[in-house]
Amino acid sequence: MMTKTKEKANWPVMIFLILGLSTIVFPLYMTVVIAFKQPSEMTNSISGILSLPASWSLANFKEAMRVTDFWRSLGNSLLITVITVVLSVVLHSLMGYALGRNKAKNKFYNFVYLFIVSGMFVPFAILMMPLAKQTAEMGLGNWVGVILLYVVFYMPMNIMLYSGYLVNIPVALEEAARVDGATTWTTYWKIIFPIMKPMHATVAVLTALAVWNDVMTPLVIMAGTAQNTLPLAQLNFQSQFGTNYNLAFASYLLALIPLLIFYLVCQKQILNGVVNGAVK
Amino acid sequence: MKGIKCMGMAVLAVAAAGAITGCGSDTDSSKVQIEILQYKPEAANYFETVEEKFNATHDDIELKISSPNDAMTILKTRFIREDYPDIIGIGGDINYSYFVDADILSDLSDYPGMKDVNPGYLNTAEALELVPTEGTYIMPYVANAAGVLYNREMFAEHGWEIPTNWEELNSLCEKIQSEGILPFYFGFKETWTCLAPWNAMAVELTPADVTKQVNRGETTFTEEFPELAEKFLSLLQYGPDDPFAYNYNDACTAFARGESAMYPIGSYACPQILSVNPDLDIDSFVMPATEKAQDRTLNSGIDLGFCVTAECKNKEAAYEVLDFLYEDENIQDYLNEQNAVPCKAGDFALAPMLDGMKDFITEGNVTDYQDHYYPSEMAVDAQLQSYLIEKDQDAFLEKFDKDWLRYNRDIIRLVAEYEAEQGADK
Amino acid sequence: MKNDRKRTFLLITIPILALFICFNTIPLIRGVYYSFTNFKGFGSYDNVGIRNYLDLFTDARVGKSYLFTIKLAVAATILTNVVSLILALALNSKIRAKSFFRGAYFLPNILGALVVGYIFNYFFTYILPAMMKMVGVEAGSILSKPSTAWIGIVIVCAWQAIAMNTIIYISGLQTVPEDVYEAGGLDGATGWKRFRYLTFPLIIPFFSINMVLSVKNFLMVFDQIMALTKGGPAQSTESISYLIYNNGMAGGQFGFQSANAVLFFIVIVCISVAQLKFSSSKEEQL
Repeated sequence: MMTKTKEKANWPVMIFLILGLSTIVFPLYMTVVIAFKQPSEMTNSISGILSLPASWSLANFKEAMRVTDFWRSLGNSLLITVITVVLSVVLHSLMGYALGRNKAKNKFYNFVYLFIVSGMFVPFAILMMPLAKQTAEMGLGNWVGVILLYVVFYMPMNIMLYSGYLVNIPVALEEAARVDGATTWTTYWKIIFPIMKPMHATVAVLTALAVWNDVMTPLVIMAGTAQNTLPLAQLNFQSQFGTNYNLAFASYLLALIPLLIFYLVCQKQILNGVVNGAVK
Repeated sequence: MKGIKCMGMAVLAVAAAGAITGCGSDTDSSKVQIEILQYKPEAANYFETVEEKFNATHDDIELKISSPNDAMTILKTRFIREDYPDIIGIGGDINYSYFVDADILSDLSDYPGMKDVNPGYLNTAEALELVPTEGTYIMPYVANAAGVLYNREMFAEHGWEIPTNWEELNSLCEKIQSEGILPFYFGFKETWTCLAPWNAMAVELTPADVTKQVNRGETTFTEEFPELAEKFLSLLQYGPDDPFAYNYNDACTAFARGESAMYPIGSYACPQILSVNPDLDIDSFVMPATEKAQDRTLNSGIDLGFCVTAECKNKEAAYEVLDFLYEDENIQDYLNEQNAVPCKAGDFALAPMLDGMKDFITEGNVTDYQDHYYPSEMAVDAQLQSYLIEKDQDAFLEKFDKDWLRYNRDIIRLVAEYEAEQGADK
Repeated sequence: MKNDRKRTFLLITIPILALFICFNTIPLIRGVYYSFTNFKGFGSYDNVGIRNYLDLFTDARVGKSYLFTIKLAVAATILTNVVSLILALALNSKIRAKSFFRGAYFLPNILGALVVGYIFNYFFTYILPAMMKMVGVEAGSILSKPSTAWIGIVIVCAWQAIAMNTIIYISGLQTVPEDVYEAGGLDGATGWKRFRYLTFPLIIPFFSINMVLSVKNFLMVFDQIMALTKGGPAQSTESISYLIYNNGMAGGQFGFQSANAVLFFIVIVCISVAQLKFSSSKEEQL
């Protein structure tokens, strides 16, 4: 192991990163400031919009939580996101493994790979109506249906990622295990699955991100079930003739926190890559 | 492997939590269930109260009203699943026309409450049918009106008079400009706001059924629209320098902050304006686009109406719900909350920002928004914006005519078939 | 043993493939069916044969949207990948407060479209012109002119997408073993050379994934258009997805826009297959 404390930080890079941060800090500052302001504090002047709110009251956040029925919507969003992510990591990594290991030499697997990856390019708008009908016919017009659809929607991207990752993992690792008499199935779970940890984290982050913010799928599939996810509940702040930006911003800030925490946990896993973890 | 176990536990925990929240209230099966889905989320509070009041006073019917956002998408996806609400609350626009044409709605001619509705709005509803159909499919509930909103305090301070014809409007604008104030604010970055002044002027400068005349092949827009297009374009000189930089919200904020004297938009914008400046005294006047004051008409259309779907199993119960919605007290509550115009005849108190339009409303001198006849996929709003940017009237009208024929192809064919049938009957 | 391997792979592939066909392929086939009708999305409809497809090629608006979308996708893909590759290298190097920086640079991706739309509208309408004025350039909002509005959209698209592409590059950089650098270090490879000849070849699979994903995401751009311009000014920023959704779902052109979606699908598949072919030939060279 390298001892990190002795190493010098790369200062030019850090300065570059700090400068780049301004492109993030500025919009975030605006979001926070607006989330605390009252509608009557909104103006079209630059100094007015950038000024600090008259008072740092949490009233907007409380009201936003009431309007969106926050805990319940959060519960639904968490339910859908967590199950989708777990299913994606398990199923997509398996599929990525099966396809990634075989597509170079077997025509059938190569075809399946291309077939699934090309599914990524189907515009959602064309699937929307047929899916609304199909899920209703199958009795899946609820969150279970939404999860199944997500598992299918993100399958192409995730399979691409997993099989891309496998390119750098030598087949020799598996062969060694096989010589010891392990089946392919156990070899996968004992050796390949743990090695792909950084990719699991990446897939988990990307999938969670897409699911967490998605409006269209639950809107179309769960319409009429009276169940809301957070993005669906947040639609309440907008209508054609009026948008309460202050409440909306407060609500978006609240919705951002769980995902940010999840990302910070996952990115540690991305860090502890193949090099440090498995190949030893 | 530890990671998987952790994830497994997490799934179980979340699933359990979901199961708990998922079990909603059990519904009493002895009651008749009536579901309303209405498309105005901004009126959600009102409908929540109505739902409570109704359920508290009715033992035999359980009413459920939902006011989701993006209700049109939800409605359409529910239609394709054949999961129809009993009553839908929609606007009198082209979607209504399509729904009638698709046989989704049921005829309300036998509903006794129909006679209480202002006949002007019933005519509006009739006119929206693509081809004349027997029966009435919508109960108009409330209307909105579009003209020009103005800052009453500012007008009083400077002694400006309300214009009643095109000339007066122009001289008023000159006067306001000469005093260093911006006459109009526009939010033309958001294309639909282009339609507000366009519609308000169109009802006065073109025949009310111009689109139907075109569909019958009797005239063209190139013939009917030049005056309208010209006057519409000339408004730009009284607005901000770059009107395409500002969206609806910017324009509302600017008008609320007193940055302009007037804002050509519908009464529906008032809540957004007042949220920025609750003390602003807003009034409105009818768009004076004609040469003579007496030729003016108020641009007003059905903002919300109720339709009973053909699939509704218990029409009687649905009518009972409609009866309740049309009680004077409930309508008045709606008007107070949403600054709307009632479609029911009677003596209702109107919001102060409608003062300048009151006479037109009581006289029934109203004409429907012309864009209610435009197919939304033709994007007339975007074409208007293009015209304002490029300022090429001939190209604009030519494209309008060409696109009209293309986007209304199926409707024109329907109309032709209908006319042929009528001709044969005679 | 060989049989066990084969059987396991089949047992994995078949059920997952079935799930995929059920919720992707079958609805797609139904959608293709609608593209031969004048279906509005509800109610009754007639079969119109290939009328919709013929119309596609004579519709100036559709043609314009393809040109706009491709222009946007090319510009945004280049911008995003250059910036996120640099960012990934920076975030992967020896710096302090790594978690903080990684978290911060991830934020743009989680801000909802409403927030992003509002803030960037404000930025382009009020703040940027004021900043230009300070340096002596008189310029209005770039979103209000048909000739420049697309630049605003490219910036916002890239701003949001960089987070995701950076994550993928970072996870790619984890597959580069430390000893490659050690060996390279002995040969005196540093800076650009080290990147060009040691690092980059090893992360080519991730580079090609990012290229495919970026091209696909930007070709399907929708949220940013809705948030920033709604297709304006003067219909100059109508993307293909915007047309398909707006006219097909919100409007009454469901059948016609289904035809557009089918054509669009074929176009993107062709572009992506070409991309994948190109990059896999690169991978093999190594």
